Amino acid sequence: MRRILSALAKPFSETSGLARWMLVIGIVLTAVFVFLAIFAPWVAPYGFAQASAHGTDFPKLGHPDGTHWFGTDRLFFDVYSRAIWGARTAIEVVLLSILVCIVVGVPLGLISGYYGGWLDRILVLVMDALFAFPSFLLAIVFSFLLTNIVGGSVIAVSLSLSAIYIPQYYRVVRNTTVSAKEATYVEAARAMGASDGVIMRRYLFGNVVQSVPVIGTLNAADAILTLAGLGFLGLGIQSTQAAEWGHDLNRALADAGSGVWWTGLYPGLAIVLLVTALTLVGEGLNETLNPTLRRRRLLPVLLPARAETEEVR
Amino acid sequence: MAGTGSGSLPRYIAQRVLLVIPMIWVILTLVFVVLRVAPGDPISAAVGGKLDADALAQRREALGLNRPMIAQYWDYLSSVAHLDFGTTFSDNQPVLRVIRDNGGATLSLTLAAFAIALVVGIPLGLLAGRYRDSVADVVIRLFGILSYAAPIFFVGFLLQVYVAQPLGLPTGGASSPMTAFLVTPHTHILLIDVFLSGNGTAITDVLKHLLLPSLTLGLLICGVFIRLVRVNILQTMQADYVEAAEARGISRGKVTRRHALRNALVPVVTVIGLQFAMLLGGAVLTESTFNWPGLGQKLVDYINERDYGAVQGIVTIFAIAVVLVSVLVDVVNALIDPRVRY
Amino acid sequence: MKKRMRSAIAIAGAGALALAISACGGNDNGSGGGASGGGGWILGTTDTVTALDPAGSYDLGSSTLEYNLYQTLLTVPANSTDIVGDAAQKCEYGDPKTLTCTLKPGLKFSNGDALTSSDVKYSFERAIKIQDPNGAAIYLLGSITKTDDKSGVVTLDDNAIETPDDTTVIFHLNKPDTTFQYVLTYPGAAAIVDEDVFPADTKLADEKVIGSGPYKLAQYKAKDQAVLQKNTDYTGDNTGGASQVFIKYYSDNTALKLAAQNGEVDVAWRSLSPTDISALKSDSKLTVATGKGSEIRYWTWRVDKGIGQNVAVRQAAAQLIDREKIASAAYDDTVSPLYSVVPPGYAGQKDSFKEAYGTPDVAKAKQILDKAGVKTPVALTLGWTPTHYGPASEDEMNEVKRQLEASGLFKVTPKSTEWEQYQTLYKQGAYDLWMLGWFPDYPDADDYLSPFLVNGGFFQNGYKNPEVNKLVAEEQGNSDQGQREKIEGQLQDIAARDVPLIPSWVGQNTAVYGKGMSGVESTLDPSFIFRLWLVSKK
Repeated sequence: MRRILSALAKPFSETSGLARWMLVIGIVLTAVFVFLAIFAPWVAPYGFAQASAHGTDFPKLGHPDGTHWFGTDRLFFDVYSRAIWGARTAIEVVLLSILVCIVVGVPLGLISGYYGGWLDRILVLVMDALFAFPSFLLAIVFSFLLTNIVGGSVIAVSLSLSAIYIPQYYRVVRNTTVSAKEATYVEAARAMGASDGVIMRRYLFGNVVQSVPVIGTLNAADAILTLAGLGFLGLGIQSTQAAEWGHDLNRALADAGSGVWWTGLYPGLAIVLLVTALTLVGEGLNETLNPTLRRRRLLPVLLPARAETEEVR
Repeated sequence: MAGTGSGSLPRYIAQRVLLVIPMIWVILTLVFVVLRVAPGDPISAAVGGKLDADALAQRREALGLNRPMIAQYWDYLSSVAHLDFGTTFSDNQPVLRVIRDNGGATLSLTLAAFAIALVVGIPLGLLAGRYRDSVADVVIRLFGILSYAAPIFFVGFLLQVYVAQPLGLPTGGASSPMTAFLVTPHTHILLIDVFLSGNGTAITDVLKHLLLPSLTLGLLICGVFIRLVRVNILQTMQADYVEAAEARGISRGKVTRRHALRNALVPVVTVIGLQFAMLLGGAVLTESTFNWPGLGQKLVDYINERDYGAVQGIVTIFAIAVVLVSVLVDVVNALIDPRVRY
Repeated sequence: MKKRMRSAIAIAGAGALALAISACGGNDNGSGGGASGGGGWILGTTDTVTALDPAGSYDLGSSTLEYNLYQTLLTVPANSTDIVGDAAQKCEYGDPKTLTCTLKPGLKFSNGDALTSSDVKYSFERAIKIQDPNGAAIYLLGSITKTDDKSGVVTLDDNAIETPDDTTVIFHLNKPDTTFQYVLTYPGAAAIVDEDVFPADTKLADEKVIGSGPYKLAQYKAKDQAVLQKNTDYTGDNTGGASQVFIKYYSDNTALKLAAQNGEVDVAWRSLSPTDISALKSDSKLTVATGKGSEIRYWTWRVDKGIGQNVAVRQAAAQLIDREKIASAAYDDTVSPLYSVVPPGYAGQKDSFKEAYGTPDVAKAKQILDKAGVKTPVALTLGWTPTHYGPASEDEMNEVKRQLEASGLFKVTPKSTEWEQYQTLYKQGAYDLWMLGWFPDYPDADDYLSPFLVNGGFFQNGYKNPEVNKLVAEEQGNSDQGQREKIEGQLQDIAARDVPLIPSWVGQNTAVYGKGMSGVESTLDPSFIFRLWLVSKK
């Protein structure tokens, strides 16, 4: 237990100065958004598709004021609430897509790297081809495809994001597996009679999975941008299904010409903040976990006190 | 370099090049499957709002959309092999012409953005790596992250409203209609053709239109470059030979410039090349925002209209471009770094 | 390597500097490079062109150019529903099944070729032969063609078009059809092409098209721009207008709005959103001009399945809909409430829904439902599509949902799908009530009646009424205008009673133009023909 905790705390304890600060800020910001996402129904004053309260309709494009801190938009919805609910949508979509990526990409990479052969070559080819494909375009096509099959845009968009990112996880895990499987300890384990499954699970997995958190957070940042991009193009999630920042930003751009700044500023800020936060976390992790970048904290060296004897002559 | 490598270099290159064909085939199949499986078809997209189901069904039949998938797939592959992409359904244009006319626009946008990103990103990344953990480093890193985090369409829009209009710069398009009309298309890349024409007003016009879109896309890529260069500089600086040079008394700055820089940039070059795919994705959003007549915007339009022929053609070209660039990058990498061979 | 790197950076830096200088300096033709001098001007639009060969187009983007590039036998002048001759002197019905047209003498195409009756016949023949899926011919020319039941192939009736001499064309219709003369005004079905240039069985490439209209095509770049120049060989009446017109295509209405504000286009027409128009109204450099429109939005009921089967439910909803509120809340009053299937401005129109239902009234709606013994709240699936009809369609859907639920009589579940899938889904009965829009093909009330009310309409909502079918056939075959209008009035009343669909609003024909432009208002009429020859720039 202590080992796990100290492993988790490694990023903090072993860095200093800026790297630690960036990590901390990133984590705090991300935590804020996650908190908003989880507790949205309680934190947000209104629902994301709520256009009236206590019998009175909300104003259309109302200025920010006491009742609507961020104002209201064209659809009579409260911008503040939609910004908070948007956090929930973003975190949901991103978590789901990364989960799928890891569940599919990591085992595939492990197996493919370990066994090699035809399976490996075919998979590498397919994954490279997927990776080469401009991801955003793939996302557009997939979200079309999946929206009607799966029903419910949140799932469809998550899956289409997974489809783009799986190759990255696959590649990294596979490459690490390929180099790790030649290591002596693996050979030793094999000599002792460990089965393939045991080798992969107990020995390779831990070593191979180290870069996944970094990719995960950087992916998360990219996923949010892709989600916003889809929303901007009018694909993906609609206003009444869930609050989505990119979609709101799309509708808001038209408003900007009439001097309505609040409908676009807050969704835009939210996107920038969350992506920045995730990137800071990712970069921070990279700086600590990547041995070539790590800068260990210099602990002061205390020399034991010299015995008060010689050297006075 | 010729005499130094073992026989494995030519074999490596050959292997890499040969892999291009299967990769493109995989992408083509992927596109075909996704488009066919996606709901809707070109007929409904075009005239569904006017005709009843029977008329629509008849027209689908006439277009050959009801033939078995295998037959359509085979036709598709064989026509691609002949580089015959046919004519678009939704606007009656030969697909190759669409690629030719609009590919040039995307090319000039991405290259200009690339150039801006290089010019701004690399020096900044260098600075950040050189003065790690200083104020400059913080500011530069934040700038790099923010320019990546701000959605392109947001930045583009802000530029249009707060920079273009006040300064009298155009808010969209690649040129004024008059320029597009007058410039003779020798290479079909407007940026080059306008210089060839020697018409001063036209050249200024095209450059003015190019400024904001390439700046927007360039800023995004620049953020990525800054972080990449910085990380690579840091990694290189840990190397033994750097420590040795410092121990010999050479100043940090000189070490960075003369020794570390070249080695740090080599992997950066290859990684930058691999960002090409990401560049194309960013180009789509930039083109949408600035009404840039490029291939990315066309692709989104054609996808919305379920124009199979057009989408397949454009995606094939994108895929080939990305694959070729990555092969090129791998080969260059292999030439430079003898550790990378198959 | 180091030196090369340095010089490379230097060159790049110089390039960047050059860009910066050119941005600050240089203020040639107005901000952002507006139109050239000498009367040329720029029209900006978000419409898309499907094809410039009339045989392959059936959409407004294509017909906008075609109206200016080609002649048709007949045409509709601005702000009128009368039919006058364009290439033809006149066309007359001998009997309801025979239409005789006499061409004007001395007509020429822009390449010098003479325009004779054989060109006219050729144009129809090839349009039908090509049967392009995107084309209008086989849909609008039902009166001179027959369709094979099995294969669906459309063929021109034998001897349907007779050309006894170079200037006479006689159409033998297979049923009495007085709307055929209107079809002859629509270039997608009836533009006259040069038989020596256009192939008989395939479409001609867009940039090669030749017509006899007031303008000819000087350059065409798909989805980018088209350049039109005056046709010096034009022999018709539509003279006037600038010598050169640029048409610039925008994929996004926000980009078009910015361009209009920045002076990059002289006229912006279709399709600016209500917010765009409100914003542009306050711009002192621009003028917002509106004319009557003919595009309508309506909500269609599924009549043969689900809760829509009960006419009381449909009537109750019609009783509740507040069109004024929709127009103001969702569209900032850039559209007008529509009280009939046929919009105002067409001969024979009457506000049947207003007469039948008056103002929105919850109590009356409740009465209708109670009398029919329908339990409330009624569960209703509302279908809509997010992008095809513009961003405000989401606002409209929300407004309709609110109005229906506020009465306590309905419980609405909205469902949205992308356009391509939407069309299949609504025909399959996925929604009880769904949103659709319509654009007329020709300026006659029949174009709002027969496509909607006969045998389920093109949207196949299951509404079948033999009385309606009979009346429609009657008005199509009747050449007495007064009689036709009476029948059309009856049809609208039946529609208000049976409510197969609920009309929502009729759009306005809006254009925004900058300084120096004149004549724009004169072409903004329900036909949505943008008559370039009426517009000029000082």
